[in-house]
Amino acid sequence: MDELEFRRAVLADPNDKELAKATGDDLKKQAFVKEIKQLDKKITEASNIPVPDGLAHRLLLRQTMAVHTQKRQRSHFIQLALAASVAFILGISVTQWQFKEAASLSEYGIAHVLHEGDYALGASEDISLSQVNAKLARFGGEMTANTGQIYYANFCDFDNIKSLHLVMQGDNGKVSVFIVPHMQGYAIDSAVKGKWNSEAYDLSKASLVIVSDVPSDVAKMRDRLSKNIQFSA
Amino acid sequence: MFWRKQNKEASVSSDMANKQQRYEALVLALHADIFRYAYWLVKDKAVAEDITQETFLRAWKSLDTLQDEKAAKSWLITILRRENARRFERKQFDLVDIDDVAIIDEQLSSEVEIEHRELRAIMNALSDEYKEPLMLQIIFGYSGDEIAEQLNLNKNTVMTRLFRARNQVKEALEKANEHRGRQNG
Repeated sequence: MDELEFRRAVLADPNDKELAKATGDDLKKQAFVKEIKQLDKKITEASNIPVPDGLAHRLLLRQTMAVHTQKRQRSHFIQLALAASVAFILGISVTQWQFKEAASLSEYGIAHVLHEGDYALGASEDISLSQVNAKLARFGGEMTANTGQIYYANFCDFDNIKSLHLVMQGDNGKVSVFIVPHMQGYAIDSAVKGKWNSEAYDLSKASLVIVSDVPSDVAKMRDRLSKNIQFSA
Repeated sequence: MFWRKQNKEASVSSDMANKQQRYEALVLALHADIFRYAYWLVKDKAVAEDITQETFLRAWKSLDTLQDEKAAKSWLITILRRENARRFERKQFDLVDIDDVAIIDEQLSSEVEIEHRELRAIMNALSDEYKEPLMLQIIFGYSGDEIAEQLNLNKNTVMTRLFRARNQVKEALEKANEHRGRQNG
């Protein structure tokens, strides 16, 4: 280790144990090491600035507060999560329940007729076959022959699905007919509620729901319609 | 059902107490050094205290990953340096020039105090790349290897910077003494 290297090493780290060997008996080197060690002592003292009073306590306090807030937030989170799950379950079960209530086309048909009252049944127009067919075209269907007077033919909302609502002349009175696009989750069945009888059938492109207050009219209307309504492929 | 829950909570709170104890020990053992190091990085006591707070708060959050005290020290320094860097990303503070401000006002005027003030001003005038390794060595007693690891530098670079840092302090001090000597004489 030459003189320059030695000085560099001492200035880099005066407390390095390796230096003792390099210093040896050289008085000049010993004096230099001593000088730099003294400088280091001064630097150490000068760097040792006083720490603000109570810093340690403030650090501990801040952490305690942080933990406290965290805990509170966590319990809030749990409460919120609980409330959310309850609301979720409630939502699911209500939907399920509603779904079940109206999961039958024939029941829905009766409900529709009941709800509507005289609005459609009271109509007494004479709608031509071509007018009906213009509306049936939407479902890809066509009525080939006249099946009696048609009092009413309009699109309606059948549980949020656009459908065709017809009121036709049956043997014993007016018969309500709904032509509904195929809907998933609906049973094709029959239902009776009060004086109302209803049956649903699947045709090739749509379902047919017939509602009448005379049971035999339902079956007859069904026979008539299945012969006279055709769906294009 | 209930006893299980209680048991679990008891063990959680004892874990918590344990963590709390470790944290207290960490704060008591290292807050002064960390504060001083922060001070030498930012040259401002209030900012240094802020950074120290942030550093220890972060330390609390990941205290579980910590193994021993030596690791804790280097880890705190890493957090501190990151906090300091982040502060500069956020905004540039108006830093007071150290020469304009009396850092330590307590028990002034003794010969030693004057010398310390002078020395502090000199140390603060060092550029960061020299000051940082020097402070790691002086405050934390780090070896060249440890400084190299902490600052992610090569050891030779660290030794050169340490040499230049002391050399600059030494020369500045000699110049100041000469100046004073001439004034006095």
